[in-house]
Amino acid sequence: MSTKQGGSNYEYVTARVRSRRSRLFDEDDYRKLTRMGTGEIARFMEESEYEAEMNALGSRHGGVDLIEYALNRNLAANFDDLLRWADGRLYDYVARYLRKFDAWNVKTTLRGVYSEADRTDVEDDFIRAGEFTEKQHSALLDAASMEEAIAATRGTMFHGPLEAALEVYEESDELVPLENAIDRAFYGHLLDGLPEEPDRPTELYIEFLRAEIDFRNLRNAFRLAYSGADMDPADYFIDGGRLFGEGDLRQLAQTPDELAARVRESPYGDDLDEALDALERARSLIGFENALDAALLEYSEQLSSRYPLSVCPVLGYVLAKEREIDNIRAIARGREAGLSEEEIQNELVIL
Amino acid sequence: MLELITAFATFVLQSSEPAIPKTAAAALAVGLAAFGAGYAERGIGAAAVGAIAEDDDMFGRGLILTVLPETLVILALVTIFVV
Repeated sequence: MSTKQGGSNYEYVTARVRSRRSRLFDEDDYRKLTRMGTGEIARFMEESEYEAEMNALGSRHGGVDLIEYALNRNLAANFDDLLRWADGRLYDYVARYLRKFDAWNVKTTLRGVYSEADRTDVEDDFIRAGEFTEKQHSALLDAASMEEAIAATRGTMFHGPLEAALEVYEESDELVPLENAIDRAFYGHLLDGLPEEPDRPTELYIEFLRAEIDFRNLRNAFRLAYSGADMDPADYFIDGGRLFGEGDLRQLAQTPDELAARVRESPYGDDLDEALDALERARSLIGFENALDAALLEYSEQLSSRYPLSVCPVLGYVLAKEREIDNIRAIARGREAGLSEEEIQNELVIL
Repeated sequence: MLELITAFATFVLQSSEPAIPKTAAAALAVGLAAFGAGYAERGIGAAAVGAIAEDDDMFGRGLILTVLPETLVILALVTIFVV
């Protein structure tokens, strides 16, 4: 049973997490998967870690939907395990980080309301790995309008920012301000309430999250720079990284080349060299975003081997698992849409 | 308090017997070594159980690694025979 009191059990959790991580799909598995049809992918998954989920959902769904729901459910089960194992401060760190999925669920709800989707469709897309209770989930699902959905988040960290963003939404009828409010609430609270003078484990937690925030900012900056959209980059800026200040982002978003140079000089430069080269070669945003993801994954792996008994391996596993889910989903969806092997391969994030 | 300490120190220094008898010192050595071994095994054991929970084949390896610090106590036992 997990408690917030007492010491952290890094040894136990990291041992389990490392074992799970080693069982994630590797490059060979992905190569096999890209050559399969959706039926074969489903069968392949039945013989892997996803067996329980595939069997549980097999009677209700089929095809790509089955794969997708099994992936979501497996993700939620895996991350629930993490919370079950962790004790003490480690639990606190992991729980904070997994609120990411609360953010995801709220986003899914808002998108569902926006596109007037069915309740069951929205429910199937939920990933129940965060902190929300069953009651809060069903309140979200019952919401028929934006106002109701936002009211359902009352008492969580998303409520205030969402209410503030609602006005902008009503003026522009675009989801972006709402989704942005959710992201910023999530990242804003990640580093909230930590001790003023962090001890070593807390320092490592902060270091890991800084990297993630930096990469998120980086991605937003590149998106803005390449889309040439006339938006204020500061609206998308997430505080807490070490790479950019708010003003920097505004300036750099105008000039993609300068942005790339700036990143090269940063502490991440060595890890991102390949990604930046790829961007300059390809000029495609998707390629670069995937390279960014791979770079973050690599950086997280470095942190986890440098500090074996810390929160880093656990968060690194969360990232790696998410990438695996994304990859399998991309393969399944890609095969369904009839993309070529090469096109699917470009979509994958493989370390 | 301070006077007591000086009085005790002079007593210890003047008496011909050592403050801690030899056998007691050896016992302390073994006890402290066992304490250290136990502390080391705490971490290793937790990690080993984690690994075994994920993969049953790790049982043998986990067991060996868990009892490895036990060698500390065995080496410390030598002091018993030396005194």
